[in-house]
Amino acid sequence: MSDTAEAVGTAEAAEAAVGSAAPRTLAEDLRRRGDDAVAALLRLRPDLLTPVPADLTQLATRAGTRASVVRALERLDRFTLQAAEALAIAPDPCPYGTLLALLSGDDGAPDVAEALPCAVAALRRAALLWGGDDRLHLVRTARDLLTPMPTAPSATGLGPTVAEATAGMSPGRLQEILAAAGLPPTHDPVSAVTALTALFRDRARMSALLADAPEGTAAILDKLTWGPPYGKAVSASTPVRWLLARGVLLPAGPGNLVLPREAALHLRRGLAHRKPEPLPPVVAPSARHEAATVNATAASQAFTAVQTVEELLKSWDAGGPPVLRAGGMSVRDLKRTAIALDVDEPVAAFWLETAYAAGLLASDGEADERYAPTPRYDEWLRLPTEERWAALAAAWLPATRSPGLVGGRDAKGRALSVLGSELDRSFSPEVRRQVLRLLAALDEGASAAPEALLARLRWERPLRGTADTVRAQLVQWTLQEAELLGVTGRGALSAHGRALQDTGQDPGHGAGQRQGAAEATRRLAPLLPEQLDHILLQADLTAVAPGPLRTTLAETLGVLADIESKGGATVYRFTPDSVRRALDAGRTAEELHTFLAAHSRTPVPQPLTYLIDDVARRHGRLRVGAASAYLRCDDDALLTEILADRRAAGLGLRRLAPTVLATHSSPDVLLERLRSMGFAPAAESADGDMLITRPDAYRTPPRSAPVPVPEGPPVPDETLLGAAVKAIRAGERAATAVRKPVPHSAGARLPRTTSAETLATLQAAVLKGEALWIGYVNADGAASQRVIEPVRVEGGFITAFDHTADKIRAFALHRITGVAQLADDPT
Amino acid sequence: MSCLIVQSDKTLLLEVDHPQAEECRRAIAPFAELERAPEHIHTYRVTPLGLWNARAAGHDAEQVVDALVTYSRYPVPHALLVDVAETMARYGRLRLVKHPTHGLVLETTDRPVLHEVMRSKKIHPLVGGRIDEDSVIVHPSERGQIKQVLLKLGWPAEDFAGYVDGEAHPIELCEDGWALRPYQRQAVEGFWHGGSGVVVLPCGAGKTLVGAGAMAIAKSTTLILVTNTVSARQWKHELVRRTSLTKDEVGEYSGTRKEIRPVTIATYQVLTTKRKGIYPHLELFDSRDWGLIVYDEVHLLPAPVFKFTADLQARRRLGLTATLVREDGRESDVFSLIGPKRFDAPWKEIETQGYIAPADCVEVRVNLTDSERLAYATAEADEKYRYCATTDTKRRVTEALVARHRGDQTLVIGQYIDQLDELGEHLDAPVIKGETTNAQREKLFNAFRAGEISVLVVSKVANFSIDLPEATVAIQVSGTFGSRQEEAQRLGRVLRPKADGHEAHFYSVVARDTIDQDFAAHRQRFLAEQGYTYRIVDADDLLAGDELDEL
Repeated sequence: MSDTAEAVGTAEAAEAAVGSAAPRTLAEDLRRRGDDAVAALLRLRPDLLTPVPADLTQLATRAGTRASVVRALERLDRFTLQAAEALAIAPDPCPYGTLLALLSGDDGAPDVAEALPCAVAALRRAALLWGGDDRLHLVRTARDLLTPMPTAPSATGLGPTVAEATAGMSPGRLQEILAAAGLPPTHDPVSAVTALTALFRDRARMSALLADAPEGTAAILDKLTWGPPYGKAVSASTPVRWLLARGVLLPAGPGNLVLPREAALHLRRGLAHRKPEPLPPVVAPSARHEAATVNATAASQAFTAVQTVEELLKSWDAGGPPVLRAGGMSVRDLKRTAIALDVDEPVAAFWLETAYAAGLLASDGEADERYAPTPRYDEWLRLPTEERWAALAAAWLPATRSPGLVGGRDAKGRALSVLGSELDRSFSPEVRRQVLRLLAALDEGASAAPEALLARLRWERPLRGTADTVRAQLVQWTLQEAELLGVTGRGALSAHGRALQDTGQDPGHGAGQRQGAAEATRRLAPLLPEQLDHILLQADLTAVAPGPLRTTLAETLGVLADIESKGGATVYRFTPDSVRRALDAGRTAEELHTFLAAHSRTPVPQPLTYLIDDVARRHGRLRVGAASAYLRCDDDALLTEILADRRAAGLGLRRLAPTVLATHSSPDVLLERLRSMGFAPAAESADGDMLITRPDAYRTPPRSAPVPVPEGPPVPDETLLGAAVKAIRAGERAATAVRKPVPHSAGARLPRTTSAETLATLQAAVLKGEALWIGYVNADGAASQRVIEPVRVEGGFITAFDHTADKIRAFALHRITGVAQLADDPT
Repeated sequence: MSCLIVQSDKTLLLEVDHPQAEECRRAIAPFAELERAPEHIHTYRVTPLGLWNARAAGHDAEQVVDALVTYSRYPVPHALLVDVAETMARYGRLRLVKHPTHGLVLETTDRPVLHEVMRSKKIHPLVGGRIDEDSVIVHPSERGQIKQVLLKLGWPAEDFAGYVDGEAHPIELCEDGWALRPYQRQAVEGFWHGGSGVVVLPCGAGKTLVGAGAMAIAKSTTLILVTNTVSARQWKHELVRRTSLTKDEVGEYSGTRKEIRPVTIATYQVLTTKRKGIYPHLELFDSRDWGLIVYDEVHLLPAPVFKFTADLQARRRLGLTATLVREDGRESDVFSLIGPKRFDAPWKEIETQGYIAPADCVEVRVNLTDSERLAYATAEADEKYRYCATTDTKRRVTEALVARHRGDQTLVIGQYIDQLDELGEHLDAPVIKGETTNAQREKLFNAFRAGEISVLVVSKVANFSIDLPEATVAIQVSGTFGSRQEEAQRLGRVLRPKADGHEAHFYSVVARDTIDQDFAAHRQRFLAEQGYTYRIVDADDLLAGDELDEL
């Protein structure tokens, strides 16, 4: 808790310090800053605000907690982070000059000198640094996080200081090192270390020392200079021994060596980083186009975007694809959608996700869940094209859903499905905004390569491991998505995209976003292609709409003809099927002719006229309807009479042909009513045979007759009786059998025989088929006597008919205590 | 407003009536394939093959992108431009060259590409050992095969291995009183510049002369492959008439004669005759050191010849056709084995220049009688077409049409021999069918040319390469189902320009509301896309004579 102690201080101390030379704690430092600075800190590190700290001491404490510091460090740009890393390996406190030297090296670097004040100010602003320029303190937690440890190497690649590396070394060994390095001997280990450190820090003396090094030393030092500073001493070669003797390498655990920080800095000519990067990499334009071209391309793509979403959702008018149990849409449905939209699957996924983000489609929440357009879609449809686009773009920019992930797998190896639940990446909106910001910073009409953008973003916010990989993907996707959506054209930010970007930078600013969208809408409107009201008809039964059509025209034509090719223009093909579709939709041939003549710039070709007429001529020649019963009669006068009869009005009779009437009433009702009207109708079977009429007899399904229930128990049958008798007999026999005298066991309840005798008797009984009396001990140890008729003796078991139990059972031979023959039946 | 619309499926729509249209057409023709040419808007398609051919002809991606962007009415989708550039960049990464010591070698300028194609199982049997990281030996016999496979893999090889000159033989065009037409000259030049390839010209536009022109430049022994004997004789006749070749220098290699001369004309049929599992006549290809091979009616190229052609990549190859649509979809094989399309002229354009006669295409719709309809409805599925194509009503209509055009040289063309025999009987006209001997055929054709016979009933033997300049009326009563090229070839029979410039008539008699009508619609697609408009006439009107005055 040392950091807490450092931050808190005491109120008195703080009071006393105000106005005096240097702040002693972060809290004190904060106290001296103005309200604006504190507000800026809270804006930079919003996590400090929840819950609102009671006072600055509490704020300082919280600013020093590990989680918060980690978060703050992650948000630094590369150079500021480098400055923090340099501070972490510098003595604490560190004068500004030392820091500058660490970052610019012995040779000096003007750009570093220029950029460093900004970086220091940024660290201060973030409350990671406090104290005056002569005494810069890195917050202790940050220092701990950034100081090189054997387990967590620093980005600087520096090792421990001489003091740290020699801690625990025997004073004798230190003396030897001093002697070898040519330093005056001292018995005090502390001053020995100080002397050694001073030697390493002194460029001239150190160079002189290394100048005498044996051959091969430089190679070893080169390997360790820029880190990692640890090495394994494979063999104690001359150079290694030489370096170890002079403390230029120090032992670090068994078999390991380390290059101490001071020595490394000497070899690095004072640089903490191999490559200090004071300036962000410039995003160079990869191509330049006319601003007008860019705007036109983006606008036409914006138009396509709106059309595509509309086409997608229109095809779901009669219900969309089902929702998977785990959420999302199945791969097959995605494929189908892609084919329907004539795009590849990733692009189809993008349109689906965009429509979803804009709230135009959702799951219907029914028992068999399906996706369907939302009521908002209907509102959206009524908007002008530019506003529809703005709705999509405004939904895309802050969305955390990342359609690019579709088709990949999550950490558990499950496929990520479009519209599924695992597609949110909280980083997405930030990357989108940053990419657009960088594009906006370029000249109008200039595009940038994804690598250049990524390099810049990496400088602005260094990330490690998977986060960096994810960002690289997100940058790529953002560029693709922006192009698809028409935010960019030919890779360059369009005028309307710029408007969207200008105010879209601040994520929490709803009003600003709305304003941006409104401005984008205003700029996009004049760029959109003009909607046409005419088509060109050709003799090969195609029609070409040389541009986007008015919605009503497009709808009618979409029914009347199949779309063959899409893009700036639309090519339609008329086929018998498509014409029939139009007729089915209630158009007449006349209407179609008029429609085509009205909208065609060219005369309607004769084959098309014939096609429509031919299909129309056959259309509806066969009629299908439903009727429950019919009435036919060869005498059509009689049918006319029935039709005219007022009493038949309720039957809903309709004449299908001179000799046939149809009705919705059932045949029974029809028969009955006709009879009541005084006719003599006969029913007809499906084959046309006359059904013989007789009163209907209502029958149940097949049923069996009830079983009688006599008094008393039922009379037993022979089998049962036999068995019963047998059982009774057996019990009787076992109890009352007159036994032959048994040797050795006279008087015993159970017969006792030797096992050999038992076996022999049993085998004999099997052969003769006679019953025996046995003594048996069951598994529980209970003894019993039984009368059995052995059937088989094998494997230590006797299979026998047990008269007592009245069934065949197996007896273990070793449990049989003895056997005895039954006495002959006394009768 | 510019004249071109670039679609996202890579078709280009060109508005032909636009003042810039001609200029734009020239700009996009090198890389885009003309797909349809109806009256108002022509459709071109940008394919990888087309882009690679453009690269081969020395155009680069920048020119293509520039042409698209310049003429496009709407902004061109960025993705499409990127795709064009990427596709074109694939060409030429691999090159076939002649190595001084190793013979034919496949080289690359991009090592990973060579690695990628070498991993393909299909490439494996075609190549020998690696010479170094960047080149590999190719078996000389597999030159065509490897080009075809590489094309399918998407890494087309640029062929720098060159052509053999073949045995020299002097051939000159004798342009006395006639001259190659401008488009024929362009076609010859286009072909020669490209080395090998296909020339597409409408029927009757003088493809034979393009062949003769090519021979006159090649000045070497030439093998000409044609569809049948009659056609072979016509080629010979024409060559003797139009070039310095004499009768003795031109040989015929057919079922009846087996002559091998400096210029030899062989039929596909004899080449593909198979005996005991081998093709004995294929050695014709090797019998002389041919400098040029001409494939007439290349859309009919039979499969064994395909295979053999693959081995002939070192010789110049010229394919001639009017309709490069194959119902088997092997157009791309033609392009990769014979060569890319070197010249293509829309039919209507040649017609405007007056080199083929304008044609009035009429579809006569015949109503079946009630009893015929019933019989049609109950016919077996595989008999249905035959039934509706040969109904009696058609015969009556055909007779009426022939009567209408009495005095004009008329061809009646059909598929089914019974129908033709019956028609021949009713019209009192000779019938030419498969079993008619070549001598008899030629006698009849000559009589027809001379005007001694005015009506000729022919089966599909007369579909191709029969030169009947005087025919002005063709009546098609039945066909090979929905074959588009057959329809075009049949129209081609009457397209020779007429002395007095009057238009040709092409009637297609079709039974209404049957599959005959569906097939007819499919058959007409090629011509409709070439800009021919079919008029539809009701047979009843025709028979009633209402329409006669109009006709």
